[in-house]
Amino acid sequence: MAHAATLEIKGLNKQYQVRGESLSVLEDISLSIKPGEFVSIVGSSGCGKSTLLKLIIGLEDDFQGELLLDGNRIVGTSLERGIVFQEHRLFPWLTVEQNIGIGLLNNTKLSEEEKRKSVQEHIELVGLKDFASAYPYQLSGGMSQRVAIARALVNRPEVLLLDEPFGALDAFTRAYLQQELQRIWEKEGITMILVTHDVEEAVYLGDRVVVMQPRPGRIKRIVDIPLPRERNRSSAEFVALKEEVLREFADTPVTETELVAELVVEEAYPNIHELKAA
Amino acid sequence: MSLIQTIRNRDWRGAALPIGLLAVWYIVTAFEWVNTKLVVPPEKVVQVAYNYVTHASFIGDVIASLTRDLSGFVLGGVAGILLGVALGLSRWFERIVGPSFNTLKQISLFAWLPLISTWLGTGDSAKILFISLSAFYPVALNTFDGVRGISKAQIEVARVYGFTRWQMVTRLILPAASPQILTGLHLGLIYAWVATIGAEFLLIRSGSGLGNTVIQGRDAFNVELIVFGMLVIGFVGAFFNHIASRIEARLLAWRGDQA
Amino acid sequence: MSDITRPAVYWPNNSKWLQHLLPYVGGFATRLSYAAVGLLLPLALLGLWQFAVTHEWIAIQLLPPPELVWQSLRELWESGDLASNLAISLSRIGWSVLIGSSIGWLLGFWIGLSNTARAYLYPSFEVFSQFPVVGWVPILIIFLGIDEALKIAAISFAVVVPVTVATYKGIVNIPRNLLEVAQVYRFTRIQILLRVVLPAALPSLFSGFRQGIMQAWLALVFVELLASSEGIGYLMVWGRQLMQLDLVFVGVIVIGIVGVSLDLSLRWIESRLQSWRHAAH
Repeated sequence: MAHAATLEIKGLNKQYQVRGESLSVLEDISLSIKPGEFVSIVGSSGCGKSTLLKLIIGLEDDFQGELLLDGNRIVGTSLERGIVFQEHRLFPWLTVEQNIGIGLLNNTKLSEEEKRKSVQEHIELVGLKDFASAYPYQLSGGMSQRVAIARALVNRPEVLLLDEPFGALDAFTRAYLQQELQRIWEKEGITMILVTHDVEEAVYLGDRVVVMQPRPGRIKRIVDIPLPRERNRSSAEFVALKEEVLREFADTPVTETELVAELVVEEAYPNIHELKAA
Repeated sequence: MSLIQTIRNRDWRGAALPIGLLAVWYIVTAFEWVNTKLVVPPEKVVQVAYNYVTHASFIGDVIASLTRDLSGFVLGGVAGILLGVALGLSRWFERIVGPSFNTLKQISLFAWLPLISTWLGTGDSAKILFISLSAFYPVALNTFDGVRGISKAQIEVARVYGFTRWQMVTRLILPAASPQILTGLHLGLIYAWVATIGAEFLLIRSGSGLGNTVIQGRDAFNVELIVFGMLVIGFVGAFFNHIASRIEARLLAWRGDQA
Repeated sequence: MSDITRPAVYWPNNSKWLQHLLPYVGGFATRLSYAAVGLLLPLALLGLWQFAVTHEWIAIQLLPPPELVWQSLRELWESGDLASNLAISLSRIGWSVLIGSSIGWLLGFWIGLSNTARAYLYPSFEVFSQFPVVGWVPILIIFLGIDEALKIAAISFAVVVPVTVATYKGIVNIPRNLLEVAQVYRFTRIQILLRVVLPAALPSLFSGFRQGIMQAWLALVFVELLASSEGIGYLMVWGRQLMQLDLVFVGVIVIGIVGVSLDLSLRWIESRLQSWRHAAH
């Protein structure tokens, strides 16, 4: 079992410069996440939840405040932090096996033989043994997302970030993959942070649900989910907790300006020419 | 499927036009309705073809042309990929070199030939330089497009997995841009062949080659040779095109049927 | 605000308008600086050229000094020789594009719209299109001589292929669902052609036209170099024969200028066409 990490977020602030104006995306975010904990973050569009993950994974380092993993400052990307994006982001020119291998490309601790073995194990972990040499175009959306999860896990990261990983999938596949993710989380025992806009998903998977609100993005409330797993989505306690989280959204309708703001932030985001900074 | 079925299932209507034309050609020459010095009978072309194909010097011509063509293509292709990648990766390089490149590419290719031949003579070095120039533009242009089109999302993945610069180039940029690079190479191959024949027509004074032979046929008013030479030039071009498509399809199999 | 404090010229001290303007001014300045950066390389090359000439690295017959090229350009322009040769070349382009694209559009529409025509003609066309135009020239010389007919025929050949291919592809690739809409509303054949096929295929029609013109420009220089007694290509052949390389350079420059202007104007028309399409939606 991999080592699970403690993640400390202290007084985090983040702004984007949009057309000469400073737009605050995250304001005073503080959150402490225990090793092996599953934290769900929910919020409407524009609340900065995806930006928060970008900072934790280290794709951006222009922020104020502190981000500590096991007491060490987070600087840049690192193999000890894994991420699954909303789109699978597999390299279409690589097979399933090779895509998972990308996760181990710069892993210096394992020998080639161990890498091969680890890739095989993770293909089995996500149940794609028969598709090891398939190309992404031959996979369904749910299968591709499972490959992406395997790619993120193959390094045995201490913390796994999930950025709306099932957002683009149909309801059946989503429910199935939620169960699968829970199984993997229990098996690997690593810290997981899930960003989602699906409240039921957040309650189903999280030990705690962090509710964020937009403009600027900040934490509104943290709801504990003390239900035993495997959780029953139709039990009275589950429904009550889900209602409790949903109530937090009642006073923050999504307005058009917020959606526009999010689009603008997307535009301002780095492009290919930032490559040299990598 | 049996051979007979394969033959029966094919759409043979496409063959009607060529067969019809061939028949007309044969009839008008056989009955001498036209000047057979100008419109030579098909059987004469076949005879010339047989004479030349069995003739060592003709094979030599074809080999000379192909060698030139492929050397120019390889040089131009490699240079094109290098420039395209550099233009796509570095914004500054693009700002400095891009405008000049975009202007120079608008100079009709053959306009370079008088200059090149003055500087390098009419031999192989001039021809190969010219051919490589013809392959260079489409390759550089398409490579640039491909590299510039690489998505932010894929770059983020590379950063998450700690790609080095070299890995960025070999494992992300080149494969991600490979569809456009291959399109450029395919175009470059076709252009290089046009340039090879063109250069052999225009720089006739030295060396051997398919183009030289055909132009000599024109000077000697040897129409059957010209027709035969034209067919060979066309079929070599079509063959290159076919091979390039096959290689493209094979290398881009990972895209599925989207192409 | 009282009348006394008001300045004679209205000059807002809270210069909000300036803030709004600044991005544009900034954008313009940036663009200007990019243009300047783009000039660095040509200027450096020009400097190198001048330097090489002054220090006689290369014989003057092989590399004429820049000022001689400039002088020849001016003389040719003032004597009208340049304009007349260019006019001849451009009229060749004009006629060939007219003939070639008419044939190309007819052929493209025909094989695009009729399954029968496609079955009979497309295989032959496909083979034909892979024969380089340059390869046709010797046989055209036999039949047409080396006069104007040769040039028009050869350049038209170069135009026909890209125009036909683009037209055909544009028609064949019209989304099925658009045609289904037309079917639902029981459009007549003419209505389908005018209201669905033509607008949907317009971008590829134009792109084929643009490629055709660029191919024509390529073929023109080739035939003029091969066999001509006038035109911009001939100017270069002549300069080359007299070992007056300044004339060859003038030819290259003029061909470049025409190429750039053709490309820019065609792009401009294409973008206008596209914005018109977007506006119409």
